[in-house]
Amino acid sequence: MTKFLPALSVLFAVVATAVPWGLPADATFILPLVVVMMVFCWRAIPGAALPPAAAAGLGLLADLMSGGPLGYWALMSLIGATVGGRSGSLGEGRDFVTHWLIWIALVCVLGCFGWLLASLYYFRWIDWWPIAFGAMTSMALFPVVLYGLLWIRHGRFGPERSAIFRGGA
Amino acid sequence: MFRRHRPSWSAPVELLSFGLYFLCAVLLVLSRIGHGVIADTRDGLVDLTAPLLEVASVPAIEARRVIDRAQLYMSSFDEVDRLKKENEELKQWEWRTKLLERKVAHLRALLNAVEEPGLQFATGRVIADARGPFVRSALINLGRQDGLRIGYAVINGDGLVGRTVDAGDSVARVLLLNDLNSRIPVLVGPASARGLALGDNSTELQLDFLPDGAALYAGDEVYTSGSDGMLPRGLRVGVVSGTPGAFKVRPYAELNSLDAVSVLFFDTPALTRADPPIAGSSGALSAAPNVKTNPATASAAVLPVAAVVKHVGAAGGISPGGQAQAER
Repeated sequence: MTKFLPALSVLFAVVATAVPWGLPADATFILPLVVVMMVFCWRAIPGAALPPAAAAGLGLLADLMSGGPLGYWALMSLIGATVGGRSGSLGEGRDFVTHWLIWIALVCVLGCFGWLLASLYYFRWIDWWPIAFGAMTSMALFPVVLYGLLWIRHGRFGPERSAIFRGGA
Repeated sequence: MFRRHRPSWSAPVELLSFGLYFLCAVLLVLSRIGHGVIADTRDGLVDLTAPLLEVASVPAIEARRVIDRAQLYMSSFDEVDRLKKENEELKQWEWRTKLLERKVAHLRALLNAVEEPGLQFATGRVIADARGPFVRSALINLGRQDGLRIGYAVINGDGLVGRTVDAGDSVARVLLLNDLNSRIPVLVGPASARGLALGDNSTELQLDFLPDGAALYAGDEVYTSGSDGMLPRGLRVGVVSGTPGAFKVRPYAELNSLDAVSVLFFDTPALTRADPPIAGSSGALSAAPNVKTNPATASAAVLPVAAVVKHVGAAGGISPGGQAQAER
């Protein structure tokens, strides 16, 4: 069961993105980005297994439920998984702040890429504000999501505090 | 506690990653060109995930209701005052409406006018909210089993919400008014100026293709013209807002928090061509939906509107506003 925990938690988040929460129009990009963020975090948490193929599959499910073009969120999740896997795990010298900075950089790239892709898809410039708002909110939500996933993984906020914060207690 | 974790970039892994990226790109392209296989597969898979979404949406809808109720309690005194005032105005309107009804009936009798067929509708619930950079749509728990087809107008108690663009057996996707792909031919104001309400993924719709010199004012009512041959004429869309030269339409329906919606079974030749009916249906402009598999719906098809709603609508009814809108 523990083996499937990352995929199950992301699946839960994917279903949550499709549920009618009644969010304002500007906030529509937040929940899908949380899914990508979860993929990124799971790939960075040591010992957690979320292969890129599973990440792409879950992204595809998000596409399916959202009614958007198939492959869009799959691509975003795949990028998140690739960067999360390559950025080094939390346990091997990379600390929490470094991962936060990597996520900030990644979400900026994903936001621009997503906006360009959406504009290309419709052959017109689409409104950038919901994407920018979603990206900024996801930057702020990163610690909450990461600690939440660590709690899910270990039942507490991390295997060792020193593994997350360099020089921590 | 931690094992050294080094990603191994052996050839098969690299190849798999490249394959996945390539697959995503191919899916995007196929989705853009609207490949039939993709659309059919998607419809099938959406049908499969519908029960999961329906269950998952219950807590969210209940939470929204609790919040709405709490807000209502907090503003209940102001609300009572407003409703009292509105009630007074409505009483006057009721009296005027009755006079006008009598006058219209008299004139229709003089002209020997043909009675317009009543619209049938079914009410369902929004089970998924699909809003992202690409789409503003919602998934409802009504499908082809309930007689639904692609192109039907979807309304709620406040006004037009959108139209159906995909229909599975038990679920359908509604393209909301503010979606980028939404184009609704409308009539604006007392002069009934023709125009097009265009969605742009924002909360308001752009108003375009108006005739030169059309006299428009903020607050003018906007309703469907029916000139696309798909939507019925006279459905309330919203009111004009903005300034001259940059008029917009503020929809009556709160598109961000939809709950119960009604689908109008309004078949037209254009709609029938786009989505051919299942054999045995009653044809264009029929008031009865296609009913084949659901016995409850089949019996409801010949019943009055209220009965259809009772059988078909999963929400168990329609708001009085919605019924009035549908009957209108």
